[in-house]
Amino acid sequence: MALPLPPGLTPPEIAFLCEMELVTVIPRQRLEGLELLGGPSPPLNPPHRTSLPLWLALLLKRQRRANIIPPPWLSPHSLTAILDHETEHADAFSPPPRLPSPPPNNTLPFSPPFLPSSTAEAAPDALPYHWLELGEMLLEAAADDFEDPDNVRKLLRGLREVRMAKLRKGVGVLDAGGGVRMNGVGGMEVGEGRAFVGGVIDGLRKIAASREQQRKDRDREERENGYSGTVGDDDDDEMDMQ
Amino acid sequence: MDIDDLLAEVTADAIPKETRDLQELTRAWVAERVAPELLLYPDALMERVLERIRKQIELVEEQTGNMDPKSGFKLIIIQTELERFKFLVRSFLRARIKKIDSHPLHVLQTHTSNPTLLSPSELQYLTQHQALLSQHYASSFLSQFPAALQRLDDTAGGVSMIEKPDEDTAVFCRALRDVGEVVVEGTDKRFEIQRGDVSVIRWSAVRRAVLSGDIELI
Repeated sequence: MALPLPPGLTPPEIAFLCEMELVTVIPRQRLEGLELLGGPSPPLNPPHRTSLPLWLALLLKRQRRANIIPPPWLSPHSLTAILDHETEHADAFSPPPRLPSPPPNNTLPFSPPFLPSSTAEAAPDALPYHWLELGEMLLEAAADDFEDPDNVRKLLRGLREVRMAKLRKGVGVLDAGGGVRMNGVGGMEVGEGRAFVGGVIDGLRKIAASREQQRKDRDREERENGYSGTVGDDDDDEMDMQ
Repeated sequence: MDIDDLLAEVTADAIPKETRDLQELTRAWVAERVAPELLLYPDALMERVLERIRKQIELVEEQTGNMDPKSGFKLIIIQTELERFKFLVRSFLRARIKKIDSHPLHVLQTHTSNPTLLSPSELQYLTQHQALLSQHYASSFLSQFPAALQRLDDTAGGVSMIEKPDEDTAVFCRALRDVGEVVVEGTDKRFEIQRGDVSVIRWSAVRRAVLSGDIELI
């Protein structure tokens, strides 16, 4: 019964997550709204655009009941601009889409795949978290909804290679403490890099474990001594006053 | 829940409760798949989700009886989504069982000090499985050892027999709110973590922020 998988998400699981992303469809048939477990789905009235989760959009697409509008960042123009940015800035990923304004303190903050970063209204100049998976899935199931699918495919491949090279080069800065900043990284890239990056950090930590333990003990001692030191100072003050 | 929470809930967003529960369940699933140690069982959330799944299954059973060709496609959509939810719940619970299986005594100890860690059925599974195991060990070889060496949870001599998960494992995480400074114990490392930042960091350093919902694992 226990799950026989190692920690961290596998590629099919990442694709499963990506299928919860919202995309925009143009329905070809009417369909009433449905009460689904993840919230009510909007009624489909051709030719009005509607945002649906990707899994549902793909289901409709396969049965030719709808067309999918690719997100604006998945156009040759945007991808070329992002690819240029990636090649020019060799030490960081291109910035992720701007975050929506923060929710009030005690409500649940939303994060990918539940941010509308791949609908027709999404920002055209940034790759969202599930860019690679979403691009691949749309190209596979809805290639005819793209204007120039081959070009998009080629650009996606180019982006993937530039970014993978960065991920590999980033290994040089890893150390036992971790704390590497990776803003803009994609879901599939995290999945691919997890075993290696995590392994390197954990391995380095184990090598330095005894030194770290010494340091932890010393820090603790210092904290305690520091504390008793101030107490000592207080005593001195009191003596002066006397 | 006080009045502020209620007001915030009403005004904050028109996002349906179901969608928020899906976000919460997805997050809990990813966290459980990634984190090195067992996390608290989301009692209220699971109760709501399981109740909805139960109702949806009833609906599907009713509608299949009707055999109305028009509602056929709607039923396919409903069933597809139902299967996705069942996968999420199942994978979530199985990831938990895996952790319970790999460190049973440690989990039992933690559960004793914090009784919201396990669900009632998980606790039942753990205690019965452990009882069977120790009975088996005792009858096959432990009973022939001297009485002082028969324990499985001996902590004498400074070394505990109870294995723990490695809490310093590196994890990938994303900040959902500004967290401020995070210190990695035993090193000079200090980081400022802001909303939206993605970083690789030790589980022990972000544990508290993950449990409070300020950081999510990815």
